[in-house]
Amino acid sequence: MPVRFLRLLFPILCCCAAAWAHAQPVCDLVLSGRVIDNHDRQPLSYAEVYVPALGKGAVADQEGRFVLAELCPGPLIVRVSHLGCAPVMRTIQLLDDVVMEIKLEHHAEELKEFEVLQQRPDEHVGQANKELDKASMEKDAGRSMGEMLARIPGVSSLQSGPTISKTVIHGLSGNRILTLNQGIRQEDQQWGTEHAPNLDPLSSDRITVVKGAASVQYGSDALGGVIITEPVELPRERGVSGEVRGMGMLNSRGVGGNALLQGGVGGIPGLGWRVQGSGRYLGDSEAPGYVLSNTGVREGGASASVGYRDHRWNASAYYSYFTRDLGILRASHIGNLTDLNNAIESGTPWYVGDFTYAIASPRQQVQHHLIKADGGYAISERDRIVLTYGYQADDRQEYDIRRGGRSDIPALDLFLTTHTADAVLNHWAGKHIHGKVGVSGVYQENVNVPGTGVRPLLPNYRKQSGGVFLLEHLPLSPNVELEAGARIEATQLDVAKYTFDNVLITPQHRFTNSAFTIGANWSVKDSVRLRFNVGSAYRPPHVSELYSEGLHHGAAAIERGDAALSSERSLKGTADLEALWFGGRLRTDLTLYADRIDHYIYLRPDGVELTVRGAFPVFQYVATDVFLYGVDATVQLKLAQHFSLRNRTSLVRGRDLAQDEWLFQMPSDRMENALLFELSQVGKWSAIECAATSQVVFAQSRIPVGLDFTLPPDSYNLIGLSASATRTLGKNEMRIGLQANNLFNTTYRDYMDRFRYYADARGTDLTLWIRYSFGKR
Amino acid sequence: MNTNLKYMSLAIFIAAAIVGCKKDKNEDVLNPQPPSNEEEVITTMILSFNGLTGAGDKELRFTDADGDGGGAPIFDLDTLQATANYNVSIILLNETASPADTISNEVLDEGVDHQFFFQPTGTNITFTYADADGNGRPIGLQTTAVTGAASVGTLKVTLRHQPDKSGTGVSGGDITNAGGETDIEVIFPMVIE
Repeated sequence: MPVRFLRLLFPILCCCAAAWAHAQPVCDLVLSGRVIDNHDRQPLSYAEVYVPALGKGAVADQEGRFVLAELCPGPLIVRVSHLGCAPVMRTIQLLDDVVMEIKLEHHAEELKEFEVLQQRPDEHVGQANKELDKASMEKDAGRSMGEMLARIPGVSSLQSGPTISKTVIHGLSGNRILTLNQGIRQEDQQWGTEHAPNLDPLSSDRITVVKGAASVQYGSDALGGVIITEPVELPRERGVSGEVRGMGMLNSRGVGGNALLQGGVGGIPGLGWRVQGSGRYLGDSEAPGYVLSNTGVREGGASASVGYRDHRWNASAYYSYFTRDLGILRASHIGNLTDLNNAIESGTPWYVGDFTYAIASPRQQVQHHLIKADGGYAISERDRIVLTYGYQADDRQEYDIRRGGRSDIPALDLFLTTHTADAVLNHWAGKHIHGKVGVSGVYQENVNVPGTGVRPLLPNYRKQSGGVFLLEHLPLSPNVELEAGARIEATQLDVAKYTFDNVLITPQHRFTNSAFTIGANWSVKDSVRLRFNVGSAYRPPHVSELYSEGLHHGAAAIERGDAALSSERSLKGTADLEALWFGGRLRTDLTLYADRIDHYIYLRPDGVELTVRGAFPVFQYVATDVFLYGVDATVQLKLAQHFSLRNRTSLVRGRDLAQDEWLFQMPSDRMENALLFELSQVGKWSAIECAATSQVVFAQSRIPVGLDFTLPPDSYNLIGLSASATRTLGKNEMRIGLQANNLFNTTYRDYMDRFRYYADARGTDLTLWIRYSFGKR
Repeated sequence: MNTNLKYMSLAIFIAAAIVGCKKDKNEDVLNPQPPSNEEEVITTMILSFNGLTGAGDKELRFTDADGDGGGAPIFDLDTLQATANYNVSIILLNETASPADTISNEVLDEGVDHQFFFQPTGTNITFTYADADGNGRPIGLQTTAVTGAASVGTLKVTLRHQPDKSGTGVSGGDITNAGGETDIEVIFPMVIE
């Protein structure tokens, strides 16, 4: 086995070495500067600066500043574009490092409209936020969104075997983080620890993770942070462009691909469209010693959008469909505590079959539809109103291993529909203060589809909520910007549940919550930027926490809800420092945070109960007060030309204040060290990147006493290698990459994997991907 | 600002109208059908001891009327006779259904994937399998039991789903290498006199 992997890895090493050997000219010049509005000299945040010949570019920051490094001496053609501006081409003679100012013609209304439509990150004044750009997503294109996002410091994943991955931000996950898909709150039964998000990460070009409490902007659930999948702007000029990507994954013997086609409509400037589709087909994953039986995945997604905009009006419509069929590790399905103890003692899965693509019970089938429509109108030169409506239908079937040929009848069959609507007024008050005021509403119904032959785990319910919010930005000086806002929201929850005696009860709950935020961005100097934010967030208890009653098979536990629980309330402070030192040779990015959550709801052991399957531990949903704090850090040092070293570290601590105890299932300390090699051009190849990484995850030593069935797994270190490069083919380009994870087939288990009791994690994995992009973008 | 207010109220109105547009399924959401009978629940497990050579018929019964969770299960226990022979059958019922479903028939139908194990502690009793699945291996719904001297203790009865019946000792009744997952695990208090 290892020999085969080494043979496959050989090309990675060779291509990096060859690229290095060919690097004759000294290409270490830096082009930096600012992109500003030609009229009022305001910075143009997130303008794109692109060198077509190199296939290389940079996105300006909030203050319009950009840096392009590792350029070769000579003439350089730069294309600068910004939303709502005509792109500008500049030719620069590069002999030494250059600092320049680029002015664009800009229409302010269009920019603001885009900010609102796409929830651009400059909305998050003071909030620490990190982006996963297309290039980073592309490297993990064969894996799930949870696995992609776990590359960001402060972000990890809560897994249920190799197929199910949920994002954890600063120690919080599930209903304590919010996902915005195309600007709409994603509602897909995210309360379940074994429910992965039902969306296709490849339907967006960029994913932003906001690491602060953000209920003012987004409403309930944004306690730990917000994941925002952002679509690219629709083309507005005539012409068709697109891309096709294919990938193959060695571990799980899987294939995947996606395709995108977009264009503007000739004769109608401002009208654009895009269609996109993707899919993955994976068989069983493999741990170093054995097959992880029944861990196959089938996944497909498609989306289509059309949009129009001119100086006054804009409107767009978007539809996406997502389907996933996945197997749940067979050996994780156990009958009782005896089986669990046997699994822990034996150290190997009790069921291992031959590799197969087939998916058997236990398995999950989900389908998710999203329809979004929005429209905006400029009611004055600077004020604009935007309406957004979203409809989601989430259809989930879970199949269990059952007697009497019932394995093909879902044991859980839920249909969740959600309507969301927002109306937002973007306005200016005087010369400097600008912001938005809005109303938002959510209407949601959860229905148990009859016919399962099992008492529903989650009762039927109807949830209605409405809120109003105000968020204002105040630039104090060119270097300091303040943000302040508040929201108030009321939620009504109607539940319909049959008791054990088959009596229908329909309790009603009402929750009223409010949140505030205060933030500041301070550009101390060109190379040092600070962000501070103190914000609050809230979360009404989920119906599962109020009304669960019964046996949770995967957890070998009886779980009991408490209908008297009230909302969780979080107060979180973040401080984020981004800085360049020694002329850009050293880059540091440090985020500190502290999060106090009152009335934090969790499962506490509450005795045992006798059933026909033996004695089961009982867990009761209770509330406590908790305090979480931690650090995320990225340090990148340029060692020599083309080479740099990068360290990413995440530390999080969670304390239960009432019990004076550590919190269960908090990510342990982790650190990634990488040696990076980057080269802008060798022959016809450009944007050559190679990396060798070491991912160290330490054993979790901070655990609550007596809550877990076994001790946390040991520390582990996984070595990875990756290489990618672009080849320009006329007007089109092809990018190809190879990525190896867990290179040495290390046997390990992760504390944050709920299936660590049953089996080892995935062994060596090798992904080969290729993308072809055509047409102008 | 006046115009702003006008447009804002328009926006609120539109949002409210959208939120107000509910589906006709409302009634169903908060007035669902009663849950169908829990089809696989085992509420009752009966060990029926049919006395041979003069020993009377006895019964050990476990009942958890509302299934897993809810109320606590109860035991109804007869005392077995010492140094006697019994034919033992296991009957599993789902008494949430009316009439009660005999779950043991489903176990019999899927006999290849099921096996009972008997583990006495402190009691002088031994079980011998008296039935066979399609592969000629025991299921354990039918056994013969031989009691020894008077004793007091427990009998643990376990039903494993998908056990490795070819594992060492498994077909002889040793659970050690059986694997699989547990469908039933009941510990009966037992008195032999």
